[in-house]
Amino acid sequence: MQIISKMKMAEVIHLNYHLLPIISRFGIHLGFGEKTIEQLCNEYAIDVNFFLVILNSYHDKKFFPRKHLQGFPLKLIIEYLLKSHEYYLEIKIPRIEQLLRQLSVQTEGLGEESLRLIDQFFGEYRQELSSHIEREEEKVYPYVFTVEEAFESKKPTRDLVNLIREYSIDDYESEHDNVEDKLYDLQNIIIKYLPLPLDMNLCHTILMELFRLESDLKDHARIEDKVLVPKVRYMEKWINDHFIS
Amino acid sequence: MDYVLVILADASQLRRLGLISLLNRMKYPFHIREITTPDKLGILNPRDLVGLFIISSAFLRKCTPAAIQSLKLKLNSSIRILIRDEDDIPPDNLNFSEIIDPSDHDKSIIRKLDRHLSLFSLEKGSAESPEEISDREKDVLRLVAAGLTNKEIADKLFISTHTVITHRKNITKKLGIKTIAGLTMYALINRLIIPEEKN
Repeated sequence: MQIISKMKMAEVIHLNYHLLPIISRFGIHLGFGEKTIEQLCNEYAIDVNFFLVILNSYHDKKFFPRKHLQGFPLKLIIEYLLKSHEYYLEIKIPRIEQLLRQLSVQTEGLGEESLRLIDQFFGEYRQELSSHIEREEEKVYPYVFTVEEAFESKKPTRDLVNLIREYSIDDYESEHDNVEDKLYDLQNIIIKYLPLPLDMNLCHTILMELFRLESDLKDHARIEDKVLVPKVRYMEKWINDHFIS
Repeated sequence: MDYVLVILADASQLRRLGLISLLNRMKYPFHIREITTPDKLGILNPRDLVGLFIISSAFLRKCTPAAIQSLKLKLNSSIRILIRDEDDIPPDNLNFSEIIDPSDHDKSIIRKLDRHLSLFSLEKGSAESPEEISDREKDVLRLVAAGLTNKEIADKLFISTHTVITHRKNITKKLGIKTIAGLTMYALINRLIIPEEKN
């Protein structure tokens, strides 16, 4: 079932509660009463079409109107990506760290060493994710804006063309390494190799958090790879073709 | 040795089932054999390397002194564990390494068993089934965890780099762990390497 603008936000949440963090990323808070998506978007000054496309692409993996999303200005897409970065680093990761600490506290001696290793591993993962995000925010996104500006002004400068020849979005895509692998490893180690006895309920909670983070990151990467990269590649090509030295 | 042979000598099916479920919760590659009456102790072959021998005091009381004597010889290097009845003075004719009380809850039983098994698995090494990593793969894994490159591992093990890569692929496939950091953590948790060896 596709989500449309006339639907009440409350219904959307009942339809798929996994969308809650996405909605909050757009700044919409609970307590929306009977308001529809359209009304809320107007209230919060959100581009309703963009909001719907993002919601639907998270809601239904098969829904991915590449062309549609590519029609949106990069600024909107990047603003959204920045918001999700913030969500990972400031909410999701600290939450998992807190759960891991809780697990360490509840373990009386046995398995302590393994938990210390897991904490350390997760720390490294967090480090990698942060530097990955930092790199995107400090290098890739500004580059993308520069390209878009030149594309829109239809007046590419020599400096810009040189810049594109030096570093293109394809480089970004290839270095867009899978931080996901570490997350996957961590899940498997908890599922398959953690020595017992541990608080099983807590372990399940941690696993669910890890799976949710993984799936959110995948959707996030999908938007980067299927929308951001092709859009920038198209503009790069145009600039290269139209620059007459 | 590919697995830890566990002998469970107890007439009570309920108790055996309980122990088996606890054992299954531990990470060791167990091979469990149940013995329900003293006369069946005879099927134990002296060549069987019994890792863990668990017997209840009710069962032990039914054994003849001769049977106990012959058991002693067969359990030369085994960890011997007694499940004690209520108010039972533990017989010490088998040099038990550990006593499980009826009041013990699951965690403390696992802890008691783990105390001995952790030493055991270090000495004897553990699992090897199609799903588990082989000894050779363990060698490769240890070196990967120590931070060696494929080339260095190949030189050290006198195999080709190509073979190292094949081993690494199989390790990743079997364990479901892709990153070097993940493999290192696996090796540490399973005591394939000790932390000092890492650097």
